[in-house]
Formats: sequence, C-alpha cells, structure tokens
Amino acid sequence: MAEDNTTALNEPYRPYGADIKETRPYSPCRAACPAHTDVQAYVGLIAQGKYTEAFEVITSVNPIASVCSMICHHPCEQACRRCGVDEPLAVRHLKRFAIERSQDYRRAKRKLTKKTRGKSIGVIGSGPSGLTAANDLASLGYDVTIYERHPVLGGMLASAIPPYRLPREMLNEDIDDVISKGINVKTGFEIGRDRKLEDLMKDHDGIVIAIGLSQSRSLNIPGVEGDGVLLAIPFLEDVAFDRKPDLGKKVLVIGGGNVAMDVARTARRMGVKDVSMVCLESAEEMPAWKWEIDEAIEEGVTIDNRWGPKAVKRENGKVQGLEVVKVNSVFDDKGRFNPSFDDKTTKIIEADTIIITIGQMSNMSFLKDGPVKLDERGLIQWDRDTHMSSASNVFVAGEVVTGPGSAIAAVASGHRAAMALHLYLQGEEIKGNLPEHEKDKIDQLPGKVVDLLDREQRQEIKHLPPEVRCDTFTHFEIGYDEAEALKEAGRCRGCGGGAVVDPNRCMACLTCLRVCPYGAPKVFAVSEIRPEYCQACGLCAPECPGQAISMVSYDVNEIRSSMPDIIGKRDPKRSDPVIAAFLCTHHTGVGGFNVPGNIRTIPVHCISRVDVLDVLSAFSNGADGVAVIRCADGSCKYKGVAKRVSSRIGRARELLSMLGIENERTEMLTASSTNGNRYSSVCTEFSEKIKELGLRSS
Amino acid sequence: MIVGSQKPIDEIWDMVKEFKRVIVFGCNTCVAICHAGGSKEAETIASMLKMRSSNEGVDMDVSSTSVMRHCEPEYFDEVIDELRSYDLVLSTACGVGVNFLSERIGNIPVYPGINTSFFGAVPEAGVFEELCAGCGDCILHMTGGICPVARCSKTLMNGPCGGTNEGKCEIGKDVDCAWYLIVQRMKDLGTIEKLSEVIPPRSWSTSRDGGPRRVSVEHIREYEESAEQKTEAGGSK
Amino acid sequence: MKSESNLEKVIASGNPAVTAELGPPMSANGHEVREKAKLLKGFCDAANITDCQTAVVRISSIAAAYMALQEGVEPVMQMTCRDRNRIAMQADLLGAAALGLKNCLCLAGDHQNFSAAGRLKGHPGAKNVYDVDTCQLVGILKKMRDEGLQEGGDKLEEAPKFFIGASWTPMGDPIDFRPVNLMKKVNSGADFIQTQGIYDIEGFRAQMEKARNLGLHERTAILGGIIVPRSGMMLKYMDSSVAGVSVPKALIDRMMKAKEAAGDDKKKAKALQEAEGIKITIELIHQVLETPGVKGVHIQAIEWESAIEGIVKEAGLYPRPSV
Repeated sequence: MAEDNTTALNEPYRPYGADIKETRPYSPCRAACPAHTDVQAYVGLIAQGKYTEAFEVITSVNPIASVCSMICHHPCEQACRRCGVDEPLAVRHLKRFAIERSQDYRRAKRKLTKKTRGKSIGVIGSGPSGLTAANDLASLGYDVTIYERHPVLGGMLASAIPPYRLPREMLNEDIDDVISKGINVKTGFEIGRDRKLEDLMKDHDGIVIAIGLSQSRSLNIPGVEGDGVLLAIPFLEDVAFDRKPDLGKKVLVIGGGNVAMDVARTARRMGVKDVSMVCLESAEEMPAWKWEIDEAIEEGVTIDNRWGPKAVKRENGKVQGLEVVKVNSVFDDKGRFNPSFDDKTTKIIEADTIIITIGQMSNMSFLKDGPVKLDERGLIQWDRDTHMSSASNVFVAGEVVTGPGSAIAAVASGHRAAMALHLYLQGEEIKGNLPEHEKDKIDQLPGKVVDLLDREQRQEIKHLPPEVRCDTFTHFEIGYDEAEALKEAGRCRGCGGGAVVDPNRCMACLTCLRVCPYGAPKVFAVSEIRPEYCQACGLCAPECPGQAISMVSYDVNEIRSSMPDIIGKRDPKRSDPVIAAFLCTHHTGVGGFNVPGNIRTIPVHCISRVDVLDVLSAFSNGADGVAVIRCADGSCKYKGVAKRVSSRIGRARELLSMLGIENERTEMLTASSTNGNRYSSVCTEFSEKIKELGLRSS
Repeated sequence: MIVGSQKPIDEIWDMVKEFKRVIVFGCNTCVAICHAGGSKEAETIASMLKMRSSNEGVDMDVSSTSVMRHCEPEYFDEVIDELRSYDLVLSTACGVGVNFLSERIGNIPVYPGINTSFFGAVPEAGVFEELCAGCGDCILHMTGGICPVARCSKTLMNGPCGGTNEGKCEIGKDVDCAWYLIVQRMKDLGTIEKLSEVIPPRSWSTSRDGGPRRVSVEHIREYEESAEQKTEAGGSK
Repeated sequence: MKSESNLEKVIASGNPAVTAELGPPMSANGHEVREKAKLLKGFCDAANITDCQTAVVRISSIAAAYMALQEGVEPVMQMTCRDRNRIAMQADLLGAAALGLKNCLCLAGDHQNFSAAGRLKGHPGAKNVYDVDTCQLVGILKKMRDEGLQEGGDKLEEAPKFFIGASWTPMGDPIDFRPVNLMKKVNSGADFIQTQGIYDIEGFRAQMEKARNLGLHERTAILGGIIVPRSGMMLKYMDSSVAGVSVPKALIDRMMKAKEAAGDDKKKAKALQEAEGIKITIELIHQVLETPGVKGVHIQAIEWESAIEGIVKEAGLYPRPSV
C-alpha cells in the first residue's frame, strides 16, 4: 500500500528516452557527473525552449541545483566531447539559465509530501549531502527532521562559501524546495551539546550523519597561536554571519586549494588591497580549479608558489609576517603528498593577518564513546557499500566519510545514504542496490567525425569587471540571456540522444548506412548505430524502410500522432489557409516564431526528422499547405540535411499529386537562423501563396 | 533479393474501394529493402488510402501493420487473427507473399499492393538491377559470371547480336549489352576462348516454361514427415 | 548441292552473287509484294524477304516469299528468333520447304521495342520468345537438312533442304569478337553470310582479313552488305544511330555537297542526292567485291526497290548468270 502511494506521489520527472538511456552507455557529461545528471537531455530541452522541462531533468537528481548552477566544478564540461572540437558546452551556465527561467514554476510546484511510511529519520547536518538525504527520504514518505548547528540551513554552503560565488537567495531556493516537502528543521541545534546521539537514535527510526568537514586544520609551527592568525572556516563563517574581523592592511593566505581562493577573494572584498597567497605547490600543481586561480589573480591577489610555512613572526605579540622555506618538491616518486624542503632558502613574507587554509576536518567529539565507532585516525568507521556506520540504524553521507570533494559528489553520496537507509528500513538488501558511481560512457568523437563538425565558439560567460566586483559581495558572474542560452545549447551534439535500431524490425538494408553523414551505422546481421559517431541529427529514422530506427531523445512518431491537435479545427468558411510549418527548434524562443494563427507551427529538432508521412498527415488532417523551413546554409547544425529533406519533399509531392494535391502546396523553404522573425516572414509569404492558389475543399 | 515497385494509387484505389475495413500489410525483408513494401511504405499507402477515401467521401477504415516476411507462416502467425478482422488485406509483399498469405488466411481476399519486379542487386542506393532470372539451370560459369538469360534483352545464348552499340543494348542507351560485358569479362579472365564453343539450344523446362516449380529438400522432408518427429514435437508442426 | 537454290548455284559457279531485299507491306495487300518482286526480277540472284523487320507487323516472310517465288524471283526467307519458339519455327520451315522455298536467313530479330518508332505504335508490350538464338536456329536447320532430324530428335521423313544463311555485323561491338561470332555461325552451319551495311571499307577489310585468317571465307559465302544511301541525313543517322555501322565523313560530305548544290530546290536536292547515292553504292560494290574472300553483295535499297536495276547494271553485274 505504502509502495503505491510513494510511486504515485513522487514519480520523478523522466524525459523521453530515459529508460532506453539506462540500457546504453551514458553521454560523457552524464557519466562524469557524480549525480549522473542527464546533461544531454536538459541541454537539449533548453535548445528547444523547454526550460521548465530542463529544470525538471536537473532537479530530478539534484536538490541543490541552484547551488550547483553557481559553484559546481562541472566535471560534465571537462568530459564534454566538444572539447575535442573547440570548447566544451557551458553546461553550468546553461543550468543557471534554465533555473532562472523556472523560478515561478518551481515555487508554484512546492508541496508537502505525504508521510506514508510511519517512520521518522533524523539527518544531522544540512549541507549538500544532508539536504539530499533529507529530500530523498521525505520524498519516499518518511518523517524527516534536519539538525543544523548553525542558525540557517545549508551547512558550508551557507556558512563558508562566500556570497560573491553563491548568492544566498539561490541557496535558499534549493532549501525551500526541500523543506517544503514537510521536513522538520532544528537550527542552532548541535548534537552532543543539545541532545546526545544515543537519545536522537531513540527519537528516530534512522539517522543520517552528514556533518561534512566544517573544521579547519591548523599548522603546528612557532607563533601560530594568538591574534592575527585565523583559520579559514571560522573566518568565512564570521564573514557570512556578519561578524567581520579586522584584517589590517596585508593579508597572507596559506594554501593553494579552492577554499584558499575563497578566503583570499573574500579578504579582497573586505577592503584589503594587499592580499597574497603562499602555497607549497607550483602554479600547475595547485589543487584549486584553474578558473578560480585566474579570477583571484584578476582581482589582484598575488600567489607565491613553492614555499612552505616555517614560523609566524611576531613583534610584541602582533603578527609581522610568515617565515617560509623553499620547497624542493611536493609529491614523491609515487605521486604521494610528501613535501621536501630546501632548509637553507628561507624568506619572510610580511602580513598583518595570516589565514590558514590547508584543509578541513570534522568535529567528531559528539561521537566519542558512543555507538558509532571511530577508527584509529579518528574517522567514522563505515561500509562504503552500504553507507552504514557501526550502529545499524545510523548511516553516513558526504565529506565526513568520503573526505573533501565537490558539492555534487556530496549530493551523490546523500542519495546513496538515503537509499541505503530506506532499503534497511524496508528490510531489503543494501549492497548492490545503491546507485552506481561508475557508468559506461560513450567513447570520444572519432577523428573523422570531428572533421565534419563546424567550429562554433562557446558563448562567453560575462563577469563584472574585477574593480567593481572587489567592492562588493554580490555575485560577479552574469547569466546568459535567452539568445545566448539557445545558441550555447544548440552547440550540444546530443551525445547519447541519437538513433537506436530495433533489431526485430531491421532487415539490414543499409539505408541508414547510406544516409548517415557521420558514418555511424555498422551493419552486420542488423544495423548498429554507433553512439560515439551518432550526432543525433535524426536524418536516418524517416528513411528507414522498416521503421526500425527510433531516436533516444524524441518520439519519431510524435508529430504524426499529434497532427490532429496541431491542425485543430478547420473553419470551412475560413479565408486564410491552414498552414503546417515545420520549424527547426534550434531557433524557437528567439523571436518567438510570431506567426499568424492560421499557421500551425511544428517545432522540430532539425527538419532532418520530418518524415514523408508527417507531411501526408498534415494534409490528411486538413492543411492547405505544408512548409518545411530549413536553416540557411552554414547555420544548420548537421550535414546533408537540405538535400535529403528536399528529396523527401519530392517524394511527398509525388504521392500527393496522385491525390490531386498540387506540388505548390508542399515546399521546403529557407530562412536565416540568426533571426527568428525571418522564419515568420517566410511562413507568412508561403501562406499568401497558398491563399492565391486557393483553399482545399472538404 | 526480390525487387518490387510501387503501384499507382489509382490502381490500388480501384482494387480496394469496395471494402470497408482494409489493412495494408507490409513485408519487412526484400521489398522493404527496395523501398516498395516495407513497414514504412505500408503506412504510406494506408495514409494515402485514408486521404483518398476521405476525398471520395467513402467511409473506409484503413490501418497498416507489418511482419518480417510473408513467405513463411511462422512470421505472420502472430498477426493473422488481427488480419482476419479486416475485409481486405492489401499485401505489400512480393507476389509470393500475396499467394502464400491468400492460401492461409481463410475467406478474406489478399490483394497485391505492389508489383513484383525481379531478383536484383543494389549497386547503389536507390538502384535495383536484375541479375538473375531464376531459370533453374545456371550457366554462369560459361559466361564469365554474367547471365545472358537475365541480362540480354533477347536471352541469347550465343551473343552478341548485331544490336550492340558502344557497349549498350539496342533497346536503350541506358541498358548495358550483356554480351558485350561477357566478352570483356572473359577476356579479362583469360577464358575468352571458351566463347568459341556454340552453346546448343537449352532446355527451358527448369524455367517457368516447365510449369510451376517446387524444390523439396529430401533429408529435411524425410525428417519432417517421420512419425517420431511428430511425437517429439508434441504432434504440432 | 545442299539446296539446289539459285543463290547456292551462283555462288558455286564462282560468279559474284547479288542479293537484294524486299520488304513486305503492313497490310494484306499481296499485290504490293508482287509489284516489288517485278522490280527486282532479273537483277538479283535472290531477294531477302524480311521477317517483320524492326518488329513491325507485316505480311509474313513465308507468305511474301511464296508470292515472290511465283513472280519469278527466288526468295531468301528471313526467320527471326524473336516471335517463334522452336516448335513454330520448325513447322514453318517444313511448310516453307513444301512451298518450294530454298533459302533461309537466320536472324535474332530486332527487339520489339523498335516497333514503336516514328508514327507507329507497334507492339512494345509483346512477349518475345528467343527460345533459341541465331546460332542455334542455324544448327536446327542444318540438323533438319543434313541429319533429317528435328531439334528434339524426332525423325523427318522428308528433310527440308535449305541453303542456310546468317547475318554478320563485322563492325559491331565488341569488334575483336566479331570474327569469332562469325565463326560460331559458320560452325553451326551457315552456308552464306550477309553482312550489315558497309561504308567504312577499310574497317570491313580489316575484319575480313581476320575472318580469312580463321579460314571462314572458304567455309561460307560472305556477301557484303550495301545499303543504298538516299540522302546525307540518312548517312548521318546511320553513322550515329545504327549499331555496327560507321560512315566515313568523306561520304557524308559528298552527299551533303550534292544537297547544297541544289540550293533551296527540294526536289532537285532529292534528285541530286539520290544520284550521288547511287554513285557511292556502285563504288562500294566494287570495293567490297575487290575484297579478298567476298563472294558477292547484298544490296538493300530500303523502300526503293526500283533503284536496284540501275545499280546492278551500272556496277557491271548485269545480266545475272543463269546457272
């Protein structure tokens, strides 16, 4: 009974083809995402102007989508097969666009989920992994309570990520989505202090510990104790909660990771002009993302590479600077972190404030001598396959057990922990039933396909100028407008969204092999369309004489089956002709295809998918004319489309003429893809022509 | 493979116009490969008939389906009950399929939706070429692998005739002279002297002229007809 | 003697043989056949009676041949493989023999496609037969005559005695196979050969040399084909469109010059061209007859049978020997 309820209630959004995709290698972007976000699907939906559908695809696996749209390190982009052509898709920025366009939609859809399970869960920590686990378990019908030691939810996202990178209103949209499911929230509530874990375990049927790594590690060097030396996380927390410390005129940040960049760039925004960084690693070895380093440098932060901290120099207790020693190497032969120093070469870097940013850890004191056992290094003992701690109903998620990583990796961990707990409470086997980390993915683009692809520059992501952004904590990155977003989304090659052959219908006729501009099909007993070659243009499916080819990302029969609705009622006394116009969706939204009502627009993913049967269907349902409007040469995303579709139009005309329908009623026309209005005028001109020709009777 | 070609819709309409419920039944092997009668063309014909019936103001229910082959019963067993629910089956299989289904479907007419053309190859996309006439007595070893029965307009066994013009047949500039090809090919193969021998009049009894033909593979028939086999397979065939 | 036909006798006598051609009409008018026969009588040793040439329906070759015979012209009955199977062919051969016909020319026959040409609808949809081909038909005639057997092996109480002919296109594609092609017909039993029209005398002589090298000129009587040119346009057409015929430019130029000489006078142009055509024909007859291995000429004056008399006389081939 409970089962029925939950599936009906919480069926996540499934884009077309979701099931087929599970049986096939993932697109590299999706495989690279720890949460396996179906990037191809949502970028494709954006390209078609279907922004809320894109939003649904994103949030179906990621409850902190807004956060990720700002701060994700986007492994999807690094994996993007366009890297081998020109530049990767700006996936993160497209995600931001889709989410911004879906603001009203997402707010309107928030609602309580029914607590059908009769069981309660406590989630300790409300960072990415805690929020995710809480979200999933609430969706499954559990009564969930989140415990957060800070006054607001979000964990490190709220307390340590500087707002110039993550505007708090974005975080709050995500949190509101989760909380609106009916989750109980206890903020300012610290387990161990406000309630013992053992008691909490009695309050709930299951616990998820997702406390992250919210403590900064310090250095064991002379002079480190005392004023003027800060730790990263407390520093960032102070800033986040408006307890701004006095930093003096010169700030030195120790460390070369992403948090170090946050600290340095935060210090710049607090009015400190002279911010420098010192780290063991060379510029190439620094663990921070390259774009973070570049942005910090743009903002005037200087970086002193390959120096190790030796002692804090003080005069009368006041910090004067840091004595550093030259680094010979950071990693040993085996690539392990094992720095060696040239003790003879030292120097002093002047500073009023030194901020130590060399890594994080968790505060495990609340677990001491309790049912959840720690290992010899003081870390929680856990089973990676089940996410279970040594206490059977206490599960663990996120960086507290996985170690430092990304927000989206913590989300993935949260999903697994929630599923593990759910399976545990259902009395089911956990091992082997959690979402997998590693997925098969489509190979890189073969060289001969790369040669066939047009180079299309990535749409630039605009930033506020450094001098402006250093004066403020507001977000420094400017979102795409619609034209930019559509253009960028249109760069996607649709990896994994392409053609699939039904072996029960394929008679190995080689038509697809002859049609495909990219050499994707290989035919033995039946055709196999190799996904690493396929560009998802859709040219093959309408040509297949056995109707054996379908497309992963859309229903090839959809147009025909919905044609009665597309054409709608036809007024027998109408004065304007009813026109069915097939238009490439790479351009919807731009200019909006503003056409008179007598023109029924049929947005298609490239006219390559228009079938002779679609054209027949339009006439059969009462169209007076059918226009297939292609993009001008050079702007089409694919190869060989115009010629192939033109021969289909020829075939349609041949058939229609047997029924007495004049050739002029079916046309392939060309419009410039850079201006949506051109599509409208081409449609209107065609409509006028048909009007002159006369309307079809009956 | 068997090559078919489409019939004009007027001809099909004349065949089917008296029927209320018509199913266009596609065959997804040979005739699909030549874009004449596969699943897609069956749907196309159905779509055309719907439009035609609506133009004519005739109330006709037309649908389409297809199976892999019409020439073996196992392929259409699954849909035969559905087919029987119609007044007419318009088969877009080759003539073999039309005959074969017609014998098995019961009291429902099966009409031909396409023309069956010949046995052919696909030298390139959209081109189908007759290369064998199924005459039942192959002599390709004597003619350099080029069949004069199928490819010579006059089925000459001792060609070429006087009509060869720049390698083309007298019937048209787009038809290769088979004997021109045979001579060239056998020259290339170094077997041209074989062509000095006169091939005597042949027996056409193995061809269509000998009456309807049937091939029976004895060892398989022997097994199929044996009592043991019937028991093993539970009496079903 | 194989057949006792006049043609066979003339050839055997060593005189150059002359055959002409008679095309039966597309009607039941036998009178026309007889009139044409009268024009030829005395000017040739035998006249070919075409068998539905270009696949156009005409009085049958066998019937027209019989009428020609009655008019005192020895016919060469033509028989194509296009319209009859071996049963009908043998039946016709027996009938023809019974009617006293003694020469038979075996041909593949023009494809039925040819019948729809110009204003004619023809019968392009006819089913062609080609049960046997030319070589095989030649072989059947020989078997009937020399072995007294039908093709199937049944005995003939009285065998038809035909002088067996076949055609040869010496200049056809593939040109180096044409001598072999001739050899096969000879091997099958062709007593005489009539060639496709010759204009390119050098080309013809080169092919004849190959035939001689195969010894064929001694095993069969080769009659060189002469198609009487009537206009420059006709020569041009034959050069470009008739398989196995090429016309040297010099000949075409001569005809065109004759035409131009008449200016705008169409009647005169026709007369001048016809006169030039006859001149060319006579030259060709001499050149062909001078070619070693050639035993005679086959003169085709298509739908112009009246020209034969003048040509034969002018060529010094008149009177025809009586043997």
